[in-house]
Amino acid sequence: MPDMVPMSVAQPQERQFNPYSDNGGTILAVAGANFSVIAGDTRQSEGYSIQTRYAPKVFRLTDKAVLAVNGFAADGNMFVKKVKQRLEWYRHAHSKDMPLRAVARLIQSMLYARRFFPYYVYNILGGIEEDGSGAVYSFDPVGSYEREACRAAGAASSLVQPFLDNQIYFKNQTPAPGTSHPAHLALTDVLALVIDSFTSATERHIEVGDGLEMYVVLAKGSPLQGLELVQGVQEMSTTTDGERVFIVRRNLKRD
Amino acid sequence: MDHIDMQQLKSGEVNLGTSIMAVQFDGGVVIGADSRTTTGSYIANRVTDKLTHVHDRVYCCRSGSAADTQAVADVVHLHLQMYTQTAGAPPSVHAAAAIFQKFCYENKDALSAGIIVAGWDKEVGPSVYNIPLGGGLFRQPWAIGGSGSTYVYGYCDATYQEGWGRDETVNFVKNTLALAMSRDGSSGGVIRMCVITEDGVERLFVPGDKLPKFWEGREVLGAGKTIPIDSGAVPMAVEA
Amino acid sequence: MASSSVYSSPGFDFSNQLRNNFLSEKGLPLPKATSTGTTIVGCLFEDGIVLGADTRATEGPIVADKNCEKIHYISESIRCCGAGTAADTEFTTALISSNIELHALHTGRKPRVVTAMTMLKQMLFQYQGHIGAALVLGGVDATGPNLFTIHPHGSTDKLPYVTMGSGSLAAMAVFESSWRPNMSRDEALTLVKHAISAGIFNDLGSGSNVDACIITATHTEMLRNVEMPNQRVEKEKKYGFRRGTTAWKRETVKSLIVEEEITHVLGEAMDTT
Repeated sequence: MPDMVPMSVAQPQERQFNPYSDNGGTILAVAGANFSVIAGDTRQSEGYSIQTRYAPKVFRLTDKAVLAVNGFAADGNMFVKKVKQRLEWYRHAHSKDMPLRAVARLIQSMLYARRFFPYYVYNILGGIEEDGSGAVYSFDPVGSYEREACRAAGAASSLVQPFLDNQIYFKNQTPAPGTSHPAHLALTDVLALVIDSFTSATERHIEVGDGLEMYVVLAKGSPLQGLELVQGVQEMSTTTDGERVFIVRRNLKRD
Repeated sequence: MDHIDMQQLKSGEVNLGTSIMAVQFDGGVVIGADSRTTTGSYIANRVTDKLTHVHDRVYCCRSGSAADTQAVADVVHLHLQMYTQTAGAPPSVHAAAAIFQKFCYENKDALSAGIIVAGWDKEVGPSVYNIPLGGGLFRQPWAIGGSGSTYVYGYCDATYQEGWGRDETVNFVKNTLALAMSRDGSSGGVIRMCVITEDGVERLFVPGDKLPKFWEGREVLGAGKTIPIDSGAVPMAVEA
Repeated sequence: MASSSVYSSPGFDFSNQLRNNFLSEKGLPLPKATSTGTTIVGCLFEDGIVLGADTRATEGPIVADKNCEKIHYISESIRCCGAGTAADTEFTTALISSNIELHALHTGRKPRVVTAMTMLKQMLFQYQGHIGAALVLGGVDATGPNLFTIHPHGSTDKLPYVTMGSGSLAAMAVFESSWRPNMSRDEALTLVKHAISAGIFNDLGSGSNVDACIITATHTEMLRNVEMPNQRVEKEKKYGFRRGTTAWKRETVKSLIVEEEITHVLGEAMDTT
């Protein structure tokens, strides 16, 4: 009876614990001339299940820096916690908030420190530079980063990024004869693009939905640029004489 | 996989991780089964009927892949109808079991089916045949099968006696299955039984909350204490 | 091995299998089939069957179709909900529908649900699970109302209330808590709507609208989009493009109108007014 092989010697099986999972969702940030918009949906999922309909992915670090994290939620939350801790230590040592470009370099160091057991997250940092310009920095999970005008990351990044390239960088759009595309968009236009990005991503990507949180960072002394007319806007900043942070919330489809 | 392995069903396949049983007594046979059908950890059917009619006085108990055992039972059912027409008489239990064996043995590479055939015929009276995984055919006074059976071999060996009547045999089947279902996570639900005699087939049903109870252990937390009804504790509100 | 005949043998064509195996060995995966990561349900009520389905079709995490139809026609009083590989559910139900019609013509009787169920399970068993169709089959025939589930490997279950697809757990939770024997038509429809909604909102593979189908001995009512709880919102901006937006390198103008000159040889032209 050659077929009667005991089960235990049938075949070697390799098993490995996987410490990571993918919790879906999408984040995105756009830099304007003197503002920055950082947004993310609030759905957290695993496989075909929704873990929660409200788990923030965008966090205010200081009055001039907002960080969006997307990927593996446990790593993302721990990473934000550690970045906030480092920024507090900086505040105690130097009696001021860390400049945005320094926060970006700090995040690079912290990510690369875990080169061989990475934080499974894509980071997008938005805020105001020391010269008062709006800025967006985007990172890969091990710390490679660059400053950009706009960036989408996460589950629906392949849907949103081409839309942003077309509408913000005006890719594949030839300007009307004798005119040129604007270098920076107005805040109200950017907010409209961000909302449309997320409503569209919600329609076509199953892991995006439930809620949308948009942070707006305004440069020191900048006017509100129509932000005061946006429904449900809330101020998050500690003072009104420096850079100011606002949040705008919207509902997304829940299916 | 060059050998048959119950744990290696095709991915997503519906499994009868089962407790099944058949016992003969003087006037007939008693067959029984739990009612659980699973896909992974999900119970796809909690009231399954695994006692399948193949002829007037011949039934089978199915364990293993639901698709495979249903297909085999259907094709045997067809063969037995053909047999009855050509022979002009009902088949013996052995004839039915031999047809089951033919399919299980010749397609052993493709099937995961553990089947117990039982019934009554004019030639030998009541009989029970076991057809385990590889397609063997064994006549036994009693047979148990499915994943739950491993827990109750000792109980059966210690309890079974020859010369029982109908009621004692029914109780034996009921108790054995209840014990198997309580230990095996892939078995559960209700107990379905059939008593097959010369006179006919009688179906018996034991609901999930009326199963015979055996030792279940003592409550560890709050042992010896009973919470008074007027303790002021209000049950959690549950939305209707 | 392309045959010179225009006629091909019936059944599936496996002529590309060798090439595809070679390609996947080289690391080129087969294209992903559209799947209906789905919620489908069926339930018995006092004088018939109610079937229900969501309307989302997916390709991995992307929504391929926001309003597809998952309740398929088998016969006038037998319908079948499909989950799993979209192509398999559509083709399998269409084939069985066709064979049921021929069977009805042959026997001169109205088709029975068990007949469709047996045809489906025998076909799916023959293909050993490679046809990824998970079905809920329901209808009313001479024997009364009947409701079955059919799994891709060919096993079947007969139950008073059933669910299938990735949202089956969410939907079954609703049935297990609220289903009662002998419900009225409206109660059953409401229950099915609730069960499908549970799938739509709690299972990412299911979404968009609710379809339902009520089958009684005398009448079959297909309720397409009975509930639409996920209407798309209006966009903030209009995305029209100015004429001339797309860059071009070369311009060619071709006349697609075929011109011909007609000379009437024999007197007057025919009156074609």
